[in-house]
Amino acid sequence: MSWGYLIRRLLAVFMVLAIVTFAVFAITTMLPGNAAIMILGEYATPDAVAALEKQLHLDQSWYMQYYSWVSGILHGDFGTSLRLSLPVTQVVGEAFANSALLAATALVVVTITAIPLGALAAIKRGTAMDLGLGLFSYLGTALPEFVTATLLLVFFAAPQQGIFPAGGFVAPWESLAGFGAHVVLPAATLGLVLMAHISRQVRSEMSEVLHSDYIRAARLKGLTEKRVIRRHALPNSLAPAVAVISLDIGYLLGGIIVVEEIFAWPGLGRLLIYALENRDLPVIQAVTLLLATVYALSNLLSDIVIALLDPRVRYA
Amino acid sequence: MTAQTLTKDAPIAAVEKSALSIIDYSLAYKTANGLIPALQNIDLTIPKGKTVGLVGESGSGKSSMAWSIMRYLPSNAVETGGAIRLAGEELLDYTPYQMMDIRGRRMSMVFQDPSTSLNPTIKLGEQIAEVLMRHRGLTKAQAWAEAEAALGRTGITRPKEMLQRFPHEASGGEKQRVVIATAFACEPELIIFDEPTTALDILTARQILDLFNQLREETNVSALYISHDLGLVSRVVDRVSVIHKGIIVESGSVQEVFRRPKADYTRQLIGAVPDPDRWVGVDAPGEPKTLLRIDKVGVRYGAPTKLQAMFWPTDAETVGFWGAKDISIDVRKGELLGVVGESGSGKSTIAKVLAGLQDFEGKLDFDGKAITSRNAIDRAYRRRVQIVFQHPDASLNPRHRIGTIIARPLKLYGIVPKHEIKARVAELLEMVRLPASYADRLPHQLSGGEKQRVAIARAFAAEPELVICDEVTAALDVSVQAAVAELLVKLQRNTGAACVFITHDLNLIRQLAHRIAVMHHGKLVDFFDRVDARSVDRDPYAKALLDAVPVHAGEPEA
Repeated sequence: MSWGYLIRRLLAVFMVLAIVTFAVFAITTMLPGNAAIMILGEYATPDAVAALEKQLHLDQSWYMQYYSWVSGILHGDFGTSLRLSLPVTQVVGEAFANSALLAATALVVVTITAIPLGALAAIKRGTAMDLGLGLFSYLGTALPEFVTATLLLVFFAAPQQGIFPAGGFVAPWESLAGFGAHVVLPAATLGLVLMAHISRQVRSEMSEVLHSDYIRAARLKGLTEKRVIRRHALPNSLAPAVAVISLDIGYLLGGIIVVEEIFAWPGLGRLLIYALENRDLPVIQAVTLLLATVYALSNLLSDIVIALLDPRVRYA
Repeated sequence: MTAQTLTKDAPIAAVEKSALSIIDYSLAYKTANGLIPALQNIDLTIPKGKTVGLVGESGSGKSSMAWSIMRYLPSNAVETGGAIRLAGEELLDYTPYQMMDIRGRRMSMVFQDPSTSLNPTIKLGEQIAEVLMRHRGLTKAQAWAEAEAALGRTGITRPKEMLQRFPHEASGGEKQRVVIATAFACEPELIIFDEPTTALDILTARQILDLFNQLREETNVSALYISHDLGLVSRVVDRVSVIHKGIIVESGSVQEVFRRPKADYTRQLIGAVPDPDRWVGVDAPGEPKTLLRIDKVGVRYGAPTKLQAMFWPTDAETVGFWGAKDISIDVRKGELLGVVGESGSGKSTIAKVLAGLQDFEGKLDFDGKAITSRNAIDRAYRRRVQIVFQHPDASLNPRHRIGTIIARPLKLYGIVPKHEIKARVAELLEMVRLPASYADRLPHQLSGGEKQRVAIARAFAAEPELVICDEVTAALDVSVQAAVAELLVKLQRNTGAACVFITHDLNLIRQLAHRIAVMHHGKLVDFFDRVDARSVDRDPYAKALLDAVPVHAGEPEA
C-alpha cells in the first residue's frame, strides 16, 4: 500500500473529526435555553444560576467556550461530570471499555460465523441450506433489536429457565465465566442483525464471483475446488463485505444504546441515556464525540483492509 | 464430407493417432420450452500435432463444443449421444473428480478476454505457478522458476518482473501471454483456443497470432482454434470445420474450404468477409465541398479545474490526459470518412466531440458556422449531425417500443406533421429493411443486427447531413456486419448524407471509405485518400496497421 493513500485517508479522518467537534459543541451548547437553568431546575436562585454559569463558562462568548472545550480535549481534559462530580474521562473511559467489550464480542463472533455462512450459501446456491439461511437473514434484518432482545430474554433468561442472567455485567478480569454468561444475550441481540446483513452481502458477492470468467478459468486449469474457493473466490468476495462491516459498526453504535439499556450493561449507551436525562452536558459531549471518532476510525480501518485485499484499490 | 467418414468407421488404431476425436456427439439444453439442441451429430478429429479451426457465428454452438470437450457444462446441459475421446480415452466416462486431474495437465484452454480470465487480486506469477504445483507436484520455488521460463518462451522480455505484477499492471497482450504460458505450462496434449485475439488490438492480435504459430511449431501441440473470423483462421489452422446452428456444415483443409466451398453457408461466410480490394462505397462526390472542418480539436480528460488553474498555473500543461490532441480533419459533403485506430487511440473521443457529448478545445466549422465549445452546439446542429453507437443494446431504451424510439427525433425536430408520424416510422423501418410491424416490438425481441438497423433508422429519421458511426459493426457477426455496412452505403446514396465511420476493422473501411484518417495515442498520424492506402509515403504506424490485418480467406499464406 502506498503511503500517500494512507496519509490522504488519515487527513480525511482528521477533517471529519474537526467538523464533528464543532457540530457536537453547537448542538449541545448553542441550543436555545439556559443550560444552567436546565440543570438546576426552574426554582433555582439567581445566585446559584450565576455561579453555575461561571463554572460552565456560559458567561463567555460561544467561540471562547468552543476554544476552551477543544483545547481541553486536546489536553485530554473533557471537563467534570456535573452529576457524578467525577472527571468525564474517568466516567466515559470506564463505560467505553465495557461497551467495547460487548461490541467487539458481537463483531468477532459475527465475522467468523457470517462470512463462512454467506460463502457456503453461495456455493450451495438454491439448496435447502441456502434457503434456510436466506429466511434467517430476512428475520434477522426485519426484527428490531428490542424485539429480538425480548424474545431472547423470554426463552433464555426467564426465571423458570434461567440459563443466562437477564442483565448486569461482570468484568472479564474478575471472572471470565461470569463475563461470558452475561455477554451472551446482549451480544446475540446485536449479532443477529449484523449476521443477517453480512452473510447476505458475502453470499451475493460470492455468487457473482463464482460466475466470473476467472473462476471458470481457475477450474479449467484443473485446480482443486478447495483452492478455487479459498484462494480465488473468497478474497475477491471479502472486500465488499468489509465495507459493509464498517458501515455496520455505525449501526452497532446505535444498537448498543438500546441493547445496553435492556440488559443493564454499564456501557456508553446507558451512560448517554443517563447523561441526557440528567442534562450532564460535558458527558453528553464526550460520549457523542467518542462515538463519532470510533465510527470514523472504523471506516479508515476498513479502507485499509480493502486496499490490502484488492491490489487495484491501492493506487486509486 | 470427408472428415466425417474418416472417423466414423475408422479402426481403433487410426482413432488413437488423433489427439481428440469427437464422434456423432449431440448436446441439448433443458429450458422452460423443452430441450433446445445446441450441437447435433458432431464429428471432428484433431490429428496429433495439428490445429483444427472451428468457425461459426455467435450462437452457432462453437463455445458449447469447447465446454463439452473440457467437460465443463452447465447443469441444464443434456448430452444426447456420441463420444469425445482424448488420445483414445473416452472423456464422457470420467467422473468430475477425474476430470479435475486432466484439465490443465492433459488439455487446457486459452480464453477470449485475458482481462476477465485472470484473477484481479492474484499476482500473475502465482496464476501460472499454481498449475505447475497442482499437476506436476513442484514446490513453490520450482514452480515460480518454471513459470518464469514458461513466460519467457511467450516472448515477454522481463518475465521475472512480470511474475510479480497484478493483472491490472499488465497490458492486454502481456496478459494474454500469461494465459498462453499457463495453458502450455504442463505440456498438454490438446489446447483449446477460444477466440484468443478477439478482445485484443489489431497489432497485439497479430503478435499473439505469430506467437501461436511459433509455439505450435516448437511444442507440436494439437489445438482446436475457435473463431468467428474466417480470414484469421486461414492463417493458423491445418483443417477447418464450419459450424452453423449446431451442425458442422463443412470440413476440410483450409485450401479446400476457402477455394471450393461446398456448403451454401460457407460461401455466405466467405462472401461476408470484407475484401479491401472490393469497393462497395458510394461514388465520390464530384466536386468536393467541405461540410465540417475539425480544426485543431483537443480533448483533455482530468483537465485542471478553474481552482487548480488559479493556484498551480504551471501545472496547466501537464495535468490530465489528452484523449485527443491537435486533430484537424475535414469532412466533405456526401463522402464516407473512415477513422481507424486501436482502442485508446482517441477515435471515439472525436465521435463524442462531433456529437456534442464532450467538452473540447479548438474549433469546429460546420457548414460555415464556427463552434468553439460544447455549449455553443445548438439544436439545429444536433439535428443535422446524428450518431449511431456501437452497442444497440445500450443505445435503445429497453422499455420503449421500436415505433416510439424512431418517432422521437421526428417529434423532437418536427420533421413531419403529427398525423404523418406513424407512416413515416413505417417508411423508415422499410428503409432499413425491417417489416413495418416491428414498430410494436420491444428492443429485446430483435436480434443484434436488427437492433442496429433500428438505431440507424433513428439517426436517419432526423434527416441529417452527417452521421457518425462509432464502431457500429463491431458487436455484430460477420455476415450481419456486411449487411449493415451495405445498408449504410445505400442510405448514404439515397440521402446524400456524409458519414464519419469509426472502426478498427481496416478491411471493412477500405471497402467503404473515400478517405481514411489514422489515429494513434490521441493524435492524427495519417490522413489519406483510399487509393493511396498502399502508397510508400504512408506513416509507419498506418503501414503497420494495414500489414497486421489477416489476408483474405481466399488466399491463405503459403
